[in-house]
Amino acid sequence: MSGNTLKNDLKKVLEEATKSIKAVNNLDELESMRVKFLGKKSSLNSFMKSLSELNSEEKAIAGKSLNNVKNAINSILEERKALLSKVSINSKDEFDLTMPGRSSSVGSIHPITKIMGKSIEIFESLKFECVEGPEVEDEFHNFSALNIPESHPARAMHDTFYLDNNFLLRTHTSSVQVRTMDQQDPPIRIIAPGKVYRKDSDITHTPMFHQIEGLYIDKEVSFSNLKSIINIFLKSFFEQDDLKIRFRPSYFPFTEPSAEVDIEYVDSKGNKNWLEILGCGMVHPNVLDMAKIDSSIYSGYAFGLGVERLAMLKLGITDLRLFYENDLRFLKQFQRM
Amino acid sequence: MKITKSWLDDHLETSGSIEEICHELTMAGLEVDEISKINNDELIDIDLTPNRSDCLSVSGISRELKSINKKYKEQIIKENNVSYDYCENSKINFNITNKELCPRYEYIYLKNINSECALPEIISKRLQNIGIKSIHPIVDLLNYLMIDLGQPMHAYDADKISGDISIRYAKQNESFKALDGIEYKLTSENIVVSDSKNIISLAGIIGSQDSAVTKKTKNIIIESAFFNPKLLANKARKLKLQTESSHRFERGVDFELPNKALNRFIDIIYEIKICEFSDINIIEDVTLLPASSEVELNFEKIRSQIGINIQDTEIIELLLSIGCKYNKKNNSVTNPSYRYDLSIHADYVEEVARLYGYDNIPVSSEKLSIAPNKKYLPFEIINEIKQYFYKNSYSECINYSFVNDDLLENNDWKNNNFEKHMRISNFMSTEQNKLRSNLVSSLIKNIQFNNNVNAENSHRFFEISNVFDEDVNQVLSCVVHGDRYDENWSSKNRKFDKYDMTTIVEDLSRIFGLAKSDFDYQIKEIIDNKSKYITLTLSINHLISKIENNLKEKFVHYSKLPYIRRDLSFLIDVNIEYQSILELIQKINVHSLKKILLFDLYIGKNVPKGKKSLGLAFIFQDDAKTLTHEEADIYVGKIVKSLEDEFKIELRK
Repeated sequence: MSGNTLKNDLKKVLEEATKSIKAVNNLDELESMRVKFLGKKSSLNSFMKSLSELNSEEKAIAGKSLNNVKNAINSILEERKALLSKVSINSKDEFDLTMPGRSSSVGSIHPITKIMGKSIEIFESLKFECVEGPEVEDEFHNFSALNIPESHPARAMHDTFYLDNNFLLRTHTSSVQVRTMDQQDPPIRIIAPGKVYRKDSDITHTPMFHQIEGLYIDKEVSFSNLKSIINIFLKSFFEQDDLKIRFRPSYFPFTEPSAEVDIEYVDSKGNKNWLEILGCGMVHPNVLDMAKIDSSIYSGYAFGLGVERLAMLKLGITDLRLFYENDLRFLKQFQRM
Repeated sequence: MKITKSWLDDHLETSGSIEEICHELTMAGLEVDEISKINNDELIDIDLTPNRSDCLSVSGISRELKSINKKYKEQIIKENNVSYDYCENSKINFNITNKELCPRYEYIYLKNINSECALPEIISKRLQNIGIKSIHPIVDLLNYLMIDLGQPMHAYDADKISGDISIRYAKQNESFKALDGIEYKLTSENIVVSDSKNIISLAGIIGSQDSAVTKKTKNIIIESAFFNPKLLANKARKLKLQTESSHRFERGVDFELPNKALNRFIDIIYEIKICEFSDINIIEDVTLLPASSEVELNFEKIRSQIGINIQDTEIIELLLSIGCKYNKKNNSVTNPSYRYDLSIHADYVEEVARLYGYDNIPVSSEKLSIAPNKKYLPFEIINEIKQYFYKNSYSECINYSFVNDDLLENNDWKNNNFEKHMRISNFMSTEQNKLRSNLVSSLIKNIQFNNNVNAENSHRFFEISNVFDEDVNQVLSCVVHGDRYDENWSSKNRKFDKYDMTTIVEDLSRIFGLAKSDFDYQIKEIIDNKSKYITLTLSINHLISKIENNLKEKFVHYSKLPYIRRDLSFLIDVNIEYQSILELIQKINVHSLKKILLFDLYIGKNVPKGKKSLGLAFIFQDDAKTLTHEEADIYVGKIVKSLEDEFKIELRK
């Protein structure tokens, strides 16, 4: 093999490769072109092998030409590849952007969980610590220790589920207050979320629902502090800085002074209404005394939030019973984490 | 408590609109539920809290309004300044010796009733407007005065009473037929008014049917008494016999009212000339009436507990406005006889706050520590689990904790004794008579419900909740049904099976950095109504105890040297558990073995009966040097040998 023949042959190879590659219309064919012109069985490769037959001077020149051609073919291949890739992505017959994908993997989180989580997060940021108490309670923790003696008319306010073993299903998370004060000395700053039960079932009541209880006991805790914490919570929860909030006197056996808190709510017709959102108050001295906390030194506040109530307002749910039907048409509306 | 605006006007001259008045009531703790128009009047429905028995009357509400708004003027209802021509008393002897049961008992005798005589229209209209039915003019008038002044009174047919009247405790199981026609079994806690033969009324609650006033009644005894709230508390509720009268007495009626109410009664019956009447008879022991309580005021405490700057004199003024008396010498206050709810210092703190106006109390923020927020670990763990399910297409359910017997069958978490389930003694319906001992039954019900209403080929539900048995445990359950994937155009679909649940446990073990064996769980297949449900139940309590206090992730150094993979296919006895193979390989402690992967499981054609074919891949990697193929061969040889020795495996080519 002489230098000149090689030169001619290489020229032919390059011409053929250029022509063939430019004719290729998809990536698979392009790959076979790469194999054809640069692969082990390509003519370039056989030229490469035959270089050994040449003397060292010729070898250097021929090698250089070979490499030039190889590089040229490579860059034509790359160029074509880039072009074809672009075409391929936009090619209608291969990918339809509007087609549905395969099986989805997004589920749903129950709205109660979300509202509970959001509330807990806000209270934790206000340095409240989360605790839990039992759903199956005794009369002492659910009533007596909360200044609700057997003869108290307030017991008529709670219709309680009793169990065969004389225990009961707690009617409020306030029972956790008592359990916490038993175990902890002031300062106490806790929230207690959970399920509670009352013997009641209609459009506005379900026999099971969720509450979040809050309790803060320390020296010099005032009603004014309570107003502040409730204000911060409600404004954060509803993400509304100018939320109108009002406190009005109420009655709970375990707090004094007691208050019910309303927020201003604008309905779909644009009417403004006050809506009761939670109950709260200063911990009753009898409750502190029963927990062996000196009420002449310590004072505190407590509050109880209805989670369903918050969820209905926040999410615009109008029927309480939807929470417990577990209908996918309801659940699947809550697909954000 | 329902009142009307015109009725209120009798007692108080107000200014401003009805909405303004109702707003004042609401902001003072007498929450107005609704204002509505009724027969040229306005009906106000007030939701009274149980401590405010003093407001269970129109005059009580107007008294309260006057203390809130000083501009309102009290309207004094004029007494008839007539010296009445009283008739003689009845022959009935009132032999009330047990005065601690009834410290004050007043009565009058009415003679020759003309039951055709009508009450003034204004009275019957008002009763009608607040929804009280007309029975008999005298009874209607008593009802009117109860709403007007707050004193419940009772009328007995005087001719149906035989012998002396006494007040006593009922005998255990003594029966009593009340006005409502129902026979009640009394207990020795009940206080009764009785003649020498029968109980004529359940004190302060309801009269007997036999002594009731009818159209034919000629002569009447009107009873206006003070019964001690402590002795009446809870009695009506226990008998399921709550009346307007018991509602007031058990919350506390002002002991000054019996006389006032009888005088008003006489004034009105005199006007309408319905009958002759006797003078008021009083049987009482004033030493047994509730003593007003004297409480020393701590002004500083009042200021600090409410968080307001208020002068001592202002505090005193506020308390005087609600009828309290202030004793300067002792710096103490005493409550008026109608305020049973004022007895300790905190009661007065509340009054000051209430009268000051909750809305006027400033908002003062607490000094919060800058310590990091304390996250509650169990909730963090549960949230992590919920997120996992959420990202794997599961929907979270929340079901009631109660179920009925059928639902519990067969699906018990831990297969505990069925009898031990906690039973609700006063359940609302048999659908909800027990506390559930598993979540699976509820979730299957959720799937069945959704299967009926929603077109889906696949269901994935989960719930995390307490289950009740001898103990209470928090568990996670998930139930799947139907196809593994939502119906779609591409993927090859298949049914869910139990290994899908295994994957969940393994994923959770990765998330929490635990071993599969650290979980307390159960995977079950349940056939219900010809449908197959795959279930996983896992103890959350157990998981939390394993995680203890550590949810933190930590970096562990890994080798960057090349790995070598060796695949083995072999036949093994079908009954040998995968876990025992893993344990064996672990036991022989093969150097550099980083990972074992099961890539194939086959039972069937070309595999002898009683055997299964497994394909295992072993990944070897040394931490310090590049592993050679010769070394890998030696390690695999070691593994094969021990598998042959222990399980008689047969390598496949």
